This record gives sequence, C-alpha cells and structure tokens, in this order.
Amino acid sequence: MELSTVKDAFDRVTKKQKLSCSKSQEVIDQVGLEIEQTLTKIQSVDDTSFPIDLKSILAELKVKLNAIGLQSQLEGPQKELNSNLSKYLKLLEKVFNPDISKAYRNVDFDHHILNQIIASHLYRQGLFDLGDCLVNEAGEPEASALGSQFLEMYQILEAVRIKNIEPALKWISANREALKQNSTSLELKLHRLQFVEILQKKGRADALVYARTHLAPFASIHLDEIQKLMGSLLWAGKLEKSPYAELLIPAHWDNMTEELTRQFCSLLGQSYQSPLTVAIAAGVEGLPTLLKLANVMAAKKQEWQAMKQLPVPLELGKEFQFHSIFVCPVSREQASEENPPMLMPCLHVLCKQSIMKLSKSSTRSFKCPYCPADASVAQCRQLYF
Amino acid sequence: MEMDSLPNGNSAAASPPQNPTPAAAGGMTPFPKLTQLTEALKLEHQFLRVPFEHYKKTIRTNHRAVEKEITSVISNVADVSDSENFSKDDAVNHLTSLVSRLQGLKRKLEEGSRTEHLQAQKCRARLNHLESADAENLAEWNNTRVKRILVDYMLRMSYYETAEKLAESSNIQDLVDIEVFQEAKKVIDALQNKEVAPALAWCSDNKSRLKKSKSKFEFQLRLQEFIELVRGENNLRAITYARKYLAPWGATHMKELQRVMATLAFKSNTECTTYKALFEPKQWDFLVDQFKQEFCKLYGMTLEPLLNIYLQAGLSALNTPYCYEDDCTKEDPLSQESFRKLASPLPYSKQHHSKLVCYITKELMDTENPPQVLPNGYVYSTKALEEMAKKNNGKITCPRTGLVCNYSDLVKAYIS
Ligand SMILES: [Zn+2]
Repeated sequence: MELSTVKDAFDRVTKKQKLSCSKSQEVIDQVGLEIEQTLTKIQSVDDTSFPIDLKSILAELKVKLNAIGLQSQLEGPQKELNSNLSKYLKLLEKVFNPDISKAYRNVDFDHHILNQIIASHLYRQGLFDLGDCLVNEAGEPEASALGSQFLEMYQILEAVRIKNIEPALKWISANREALKQNSTSLELKLHRLQFVEILQKKGRADALVYARTHLAPFASIHLDEIQKLMGSLLWAGKLEKSPYAELLIPAHWDNMTEELTRQFCSLLGQSYQSPLTVAIAAGVEGLPTLLKLANVMAAKKQEWQAMKQLPVPLELGKEFQFHSIFVCPVSREQASEENPPMLMPCLHVLCKQSIMKLSKSSTRSFKCPYCPADASVAQCRQLYF
Repeated sequence: MEMDSLPNGNSAAASPPQNPTPAAAGGMTPFPKLTQLTEALKLEHQFLRVPFEHYKKTIRTNHRAVEKEITSVISNVADVSDSENFSKDDAVNHLTSLVSRLQGLKRKLEEGSRTEHLQAQKCRARLNHLESADAENLAEWNNTRVKRILVDYMLRMSYYETAEKLAESSNIQDLVDIEVFQEAKKVIDALQNKEVAPALAWCSDNKSRLKKSKSKFEFQLRLQEFIELVRGENNLRAITYARKYLAPWGATHMKELQRVMATLAFKSNTECTTYKALFEPKQWDFLVDQFKQEFCKLYGMTLEPLLNIYLQAGLSALNTPYCYEDDCTKEDPLSQESFRKLASPLPYSKQHHSKLVCYITKELMDTENPPQVLPNGYVYSTKALEEMAKKNNGKITCPRTGLVCNYSDLVKAYIS
C-alpha cells in the first residue's frame, strides 16, 4: 500500500492551497493600500483646489490598480493548486479501487429487511438508544423485539463488570434446564470467581462459608476443581505469591463474560457474533476477488447477472467456514446428495460419480488415482461430514 | 468461464498431485492476514475521495468569491474615475465604502480558509485512519469499519438522526460524511415538499460538472415544474415556461420534451397511461432518487450504499446449499430468514478444495486436526473424538445416529 505517496501528494495540495490563499490576501492588501493612499491624498487636498485634480487622482488609482495585474497574480497559484488537486484524484484512482460497485448485481435489497438487520445488530451490540432511534426514524416498529431480550443480557453483563454476579446466577437458575443441554460449567465459573473475590477481600472464614454453600454441590462432578479451590484457602492473604496465583488473573473474568454471552445468545436462538458483522467481514474478504472476476467478465454482463454459482472461489478465512464442503479431487465437483463422498479401502476419498467412472459403472476393480491400491465399488462406503 | 486466467485462480490445482501427503483438507492457503488487509484498504477509495471533493469544492467556491469581489471593486474604481461631476465628498465616501468592502472580503477569506483547513484535516484524518490499521488493532479497526458502513447507509436513506448519533457515540465524525450529506438533505427535503428551487440552485452550483457527465437532472426538474403548471391549468404560463426552460433541451431530448408538451392537450385527470404517469406524485420520488444518484456521482460515491455492496459480496461468498438445511449452525448469518431473503437472488459460492468442518466442535478439520471415520461413515475431528474417548473410557457415541463404538474402530480419512 503506497499510503505514504498518497500522503505526500495530499501535503502538496494543502501547501498549494495555502499559497493560493496568501496570494489572494496579498492582492486584497495591495488593492486596499492603493485605495487608502488615494483616499489620504484626496482628503489632504486643499478645499479650494479644482475638481480636475480629483479626476486625475482617481484616474491614477485606476491605472495603479490595473498595474497590479489582478488576474495574472491570482491565476498562477490557482493553476498550480488545480493541477495538484487533479493529480491527487488521479493518484487515488491508481492506488485504490475506484469503483467497488463493479461487481454489484443489480438486485434490490429490501430496505425493510436491511433496517431490521441493522436494528438487531445495534441492540445486540448493547446500543439500545441507537436501535430505538433507527426503529423510529425508519419506521420499523417490529424490529425492536430483539431489543428487550438483549437488554437483560447487558444488565447482567454490566453487573458482572462491577463483580456483582447475582443477576447472572438468577438468570442461570431460571434457565437451568436449557443450560444443562449445552453442558456448560458457567455456574461453577461464576462461583469460583466469587469465592476468590471473597477470599481476597474478606478472608478465609467467609470464603469457607461461601464454599460450603455454593461450591459443595459441584463436588461430585468437578472434584479436581473444588480441591484446588479449597487448597487456596491455605494461602489467604498472600494468594498472589502462592501456587494458586493463577486464580487471580483477570482473564478468568473475561472468559466467564464470553461464556455468559455465548450461553445467553444460544438460549435466545441467536449467534454469538453479530451476523451483520460476519457478513460484512466476509464481504471485505471476498470483494477483491469478486472485483477481479467482474473485470474479466466485463463484456458478459448478462452472464454475470444470471449465474447460479460463482466461477471462482472467494477464499475466506476459516472463521467463515460454517459447513463441510467436499470437493472431489478428480472431478473438481462439490459433493451433493446425488454425488456423495466415498471412502475407498486405501482411505482416500472421491465422489461417487468419479468412482463410477473409474470402475466403468462398477463392472470392474480400479486403481486409486492417489496411491496405486486396488479397489472395487463394493469396498467403498459413503461418508457423512 | 476460464477461471485459471484469474490472478487468484489456483491453476496448479487442476491436476491431482501424484503423492498426496496424508493430510486433510490441504491445498488452500488463505491470504496472509496482512496481504488481506492491503486488499481491504484498496476498497476505501470513496473514504478518501468524498472529503477531498468537498475540500476541492470549498476551495473553488472561496476562490471564485474572492476573485469576483476584487474584480468588482476594481471596476468600481474605474467607473468612478470615468464619471463626470464627482464631488470630493462623493469620492471619499465611495472609496471609503470600497475599503470597507475589501476589509469584509478579507474577513471572508480568512473564514473560508479556516473551513478549508478543517476540511483538509478531515482528509488527513482519513489517511491516518487507513494507515493506523495493523495486526494489533485489527478487530477494533474492523469494528469501526462496520460503523462507517452503517452511517453511510443511514445517510443515504436519510436517517440523519441515527447516523449522527452513531457517529457521535463512536467518536468517528471525521470518518463519516455527515456534513456532505447535509447539503443533500436540503434538496431532498424540498423535493419531498414538491419544491424544486433548492434542487435547481444545486444544479447551477454544479453546472459545469453536471454538464460534463451529461446529466439531464435539471431538465427533469424543469419538466416537473412544467407539469405542475399544467396541473394547475396555468396553460399560458406553462407555455411561456416551456419556451424559456425546456426549449434549450430540445436538441438533445426532443422525444421527452414532446411527450411532456402533449400533456397540455390532456390535463391532469387524463386516463391515458403514458400521460397519467407524468402527473403521478411518485414522479417526485423519482426526482429524489435521481438527485441522490447525481449527488453520489459528483462526490465520487458508489451509487449503492456501501452496506449493500459489502453484504452482497459477503453473502455470495457465504452462500452454499448447506446454509438452507435445518441443522445450519446459528453462527452462519444465512441461518437467519432475513439474510436468506437477501441472498436469494445471489449465486452460490464455489470451492476448489474441500473444506471440512467438524460437526461437534465446528472447527476446521485439517492437517493438525484430521477427520476420522466411524464404522457408520460419519466423520468427526480427531480433537472431538479424542476428548469424547477420554471422558468415556475409549467409547465413542455418534451424536447424529447414536451408534456406539470404540476409539480403536476409527480410521483416518485422507482428503486431498
Ligand atoms: Zn488411495
């Protein structure tokens, strides 16, 4: 990225702008000075003088002002400025992609759907005022539903931020059944953090009471964890210098907050990440390739609008990989229900159609294209990813 | 379509490798993150161009005003010196008024130069913002990008209040074009009130550039004004108006001109569909859309909101037939009805290489975490299966079929 070149070009523009500006100022001053001098001259003339003097004085001023050469003085710097302005624009066009809508298909996105998506996004980011504002301004009252659901989550998170875990525990006990299915140890994590807080702030006796009431119920399944926590009791007051110092790192609170958010979203039937953020990020990664493709296909607008599958892959990071896609290494086709992936006895995998071809419609055994092992159709079995 | 002609097409992948390493889902090397960032920055043309066009426009306007005023002062002096019968007092008064005019001009110049300076700062803030993106702050930077894209959408949709609040609360005022859109707001509000004057004034402000792009927006405004006169049955005035304002467009837009002139014969309650359409109130919405397009063109913005462009690209990249199955993970935006609706006119993505995601952990199955096959053909990642075996004394239970088997019954699959 030649950002420094761009910056230099911009500096040249502002320099020329200042130059042009001070030239204008200079010219104004010059004109003003001449007029003022003339004024003084007129006022100093004796009253008994002839009007003819007045006329010649004014004529003199006119000549002087013309001599300043207003046009030529202003023109020079302005020309330079203009040339730098257009140079900068040309540079932007060169360094950046001047039209990222080149790959855009002419389909209208329903703006009601977009507004709802944005309102949901704002709510789930905890920006409730903004969500409400958009709902009002865009007139999408039904989009506000998600707001109240996420409001509870942010109230709990806000409490957790100031190390008050009560609302979180309350939410957990209200949703115990649903949380059980997600097999999360969120509750234990909360109690563990609280236990350490009490141990640090109130001392051993209070911590022990807390442990008996809140940690004991977990002893049957999380014995290791409980033993470790009880061991830390011995180091009350000097935990940071103990083998248990690890219990104090702030990352535990961050982890718990993340887990809490995950579980809350999951129970709402929502994703952990904002889907809008994910889709835009995928767009940023996919767009450069898409634009190159659009350039290659520039002459085939019709085809571009009509295609059912992109002709090239848009490589996305693994965070965008939500589904298993098997591509047959022989036919390069994506597996489907009709053409599923098959495991050969040598443990290489091909699609069914490729195996049918190799085996001449299962009439004879064939060699794996990757290792010379022999295989027959009967030995191959379908895989489910 | 010849895909290998593309710079990003992986032409080496066309022939199967002879000695595949026993690795899963190999072959795809994702862009290193920094190359990807450079590519992402290249998409930011509008981000730099819009404030610069604004800056340029201010420079031009200010300069023209100064030039005009000085020229006028000088020619005023010339007029006085050429005139006869001028008393001394007249001359003094006149010159004094010119001096104060010049002082006024100087103040105006200083004010203008302050505005220019602020706009230059905005341009520079954006350059700095692009430069500031690096591996460490990428998450936050990307977050800001989402906000910028949303503000752009809101401004284009005229949701000014939300746009301003979002910019303000995120402290990104320099990174969004609220001021630029304030200019548009005046015109749009007026057009929605069926007033064309601000739109016409905008056209004359930008005359030379509109002419260059062969815009016929002004003609469309004039046609609408004419239609309103016909609607009000001011036929004589309509004809006078047409002579003055429509006739000059005759050379290039004769057909439309004639069509509109014909409304004189039909009146506003006509049932004839061609002419009825011209009287419909939605003609005004059409003018608003036209104005938005002209406005975006002038400032070097994309005609569609950035949000639409990025979402379309993103949804095309994410779109697979699997997104529409019942067990689609919630983390996939396309598991949601709203995103599915947006994606419905878009193509499916394409893969040249297998990409396998573990059903249990949702993690990629690759060399480090290879796929293993249960006796029933169901495939899961080594990580998931190892953990399950560890917890259950070496027993594996298939989460989709309930089949129970031993960890030792599994085989590794080689995916090339
Ligand atoms: Zn093989």
